[in-house]
Amino acid sequence: MPLLQIAQLSKRYGTDKYALEGIDFTVDTGEFVAIIGPSGAGKSTLLRCINHMIPMSSGDVVFADASTKSFNATQLRAHRTQIGMIFQHYNLVNRLSVIENVLHGRLGYKSTVAGVMGWYSNAEKQQAVEILQSLGLSEQMYKRCDQLSGGQKQRVGIARALIQNPKLLLCDEPIASLDPSAAKIIMDTLKDINQRLGITIIVNLHQVDVAMRYAQRIIGINSGKIVCDAAPDAITPTIIHEVYGSEAGELILDFGEQYAQA
Amino acid sequence: MQPTTTIIVRPWNAATLILRITIISLVIITGYAFTTFNTRGVDFWAGVDMLGSNFSALLLTPYLKNITFDVMVHNLFITIGLGFLTTIFGAAIALGLALLAAQNLAPRWLTIIIKGLTAFVRAVPTVLWVLIFAVSAGLGSVAAVLGMTFHSAGYLIKAYSESFEEIDNGTNEAHKASGANWLQIVFKAVLTSSATALLSWTFLRFEINFSTAIAMGAAAGAGGIGYDMFMASGFYLNLHEMGAFTYAVLAFAIVLEAGATRYKASLSK
Repeated sequence: MPLLQIAQLSKRYGTDKYALEGIDFTVDTGEFVAIIGPSGAGKSTLLRCINHMIPMSSGDVVFADASTKSFNATQLRAHRTQIGMIFQHYNLVNRLSVIENVLHGRLGYKSTVAGVMGWYSNAEKQQAVEILQSLGLSEQMYKRCDQLSGGQKQRVGIARALIQNPKLLLCDEPIASLDPSAAKIIMDTLKDINQRLGITIIVNLHQVDVAMRYAQRIIGINSGKIVCDAAPDAITPTIIHEVYGSEAGELILDFGEQYAQA
Repeated sequence: MQPTTTIIVRPWNAATLILRITIISLVIITGYAFTTFNTRGVDFWAGVDMLGSNFSALLLTPYLKNITFDVMVHNLFITIGLGFLTTIFGAAIALGLALLAAQNLAPRWLTIIIKGLTAFVRAVPTVLWVLIFAVSAGLGSVAAVLGMTFHSAGYLIKAYSESFEEIDNGTNEAHKASGANWLQIVFKAVLTSSATALLSWTFLRFEINFSTAIAMGAAAGAGGIGYDMFMASGFYLNLHEMGAFTYAVLAFAIVLEAGATRYKASLSK
């Protein structure tokens, strides 16, 4: 069953050239999709068009069978509550504790007053504690976020997205600022969320090898257009070079075992 | 052998030329002014001597004559109250308007309008605002409160809105992406992240308002220790009493500074 349909999506900033042009793809519930492509190809713009953080110029995003093209402010808020988002720079409120940051994920479900005053129900607090436990952050619960390591901060970011009970998780370069071991923990966590909770995941990545290892499907973007859309098995070095617009041998690539023999 | 040529480190250009001309003309003007003072027959060294005795009367032998210590403390608190009240009023007005003047929180046209208006308010000195309000409220504490509040608000709107603009925009984006609305983002992300900066600016403005309140006591008849100083200097010609008031003001300034430093340290922990 398709959860997300992107139909002829285009984005143009002012009168510049198109950042995205005629993007067309469908994501089914439970899929783990990686989007790869060179810097400036439009990966972040694409992700932000899905939850309307950046307004699209033309086309449509159909989410859970509802066209989101002409949503008003209230509908847009409701749309966004169903989509969790995590970021390269975590985007936490550094001065606040871990659990407060996680509870901020519930703001979208609250009235203005309840949100401003920070009135969270016991069930919400209970859920926050459970999510933090499942991500191995119980001990950090009352720590201030600026005391955490990068990997821990990203896990708080994931917890904040999960407490929204999202149908879809958008991840914008989630491991670009992390060391390899923290990056592995984050990717394993995302994989686990995808398999255990059945949450659909779309992740922007710079690391082609990570995309090949974790994703069920890889979408390659170059200059705002989809260059490839296939399962990792079908991705060959030729396709990768096409995505990055480079000559063979110019990229740092690790295709792992499957191509080692080739 | 290499040919010896002079290497110019700082070549002549318009900027250095203008700087040189400015310095030379300042030296000439200063020299000319010193030679043409009208001293009315007072000897220079006698003048220095009198200055010294005035300062020693002011700073070394302070005592109260026309009012009691209790009254002085009471009047000091009136001045503190004037500074405090205008800072609080100004801060309350500024907090709301600064949110609408910050480019990351409000539409561009609105920020331009508010920033333009506050630039105008700040360009007119506090004393002038007090005198302008004195037209309708009469010279006194009411005009002082209104005028000082006005200028404080203008100052704090600029300071607060720049603090808001400096916070990490990613946090706002994350909250917006989770469906939070504008007010929730403001209270949960913006204000929490910029609290220390807001507090520093408010304290700084309180210091400014305290010294303005002293001047307003004398110039606008707003009362407080400023009025006592005005009476001691202009009416009783009593430098000793003036010295006592100066020390009272100094004591409060030190307490304020120490308190602000400690409070900020505890907040940023």
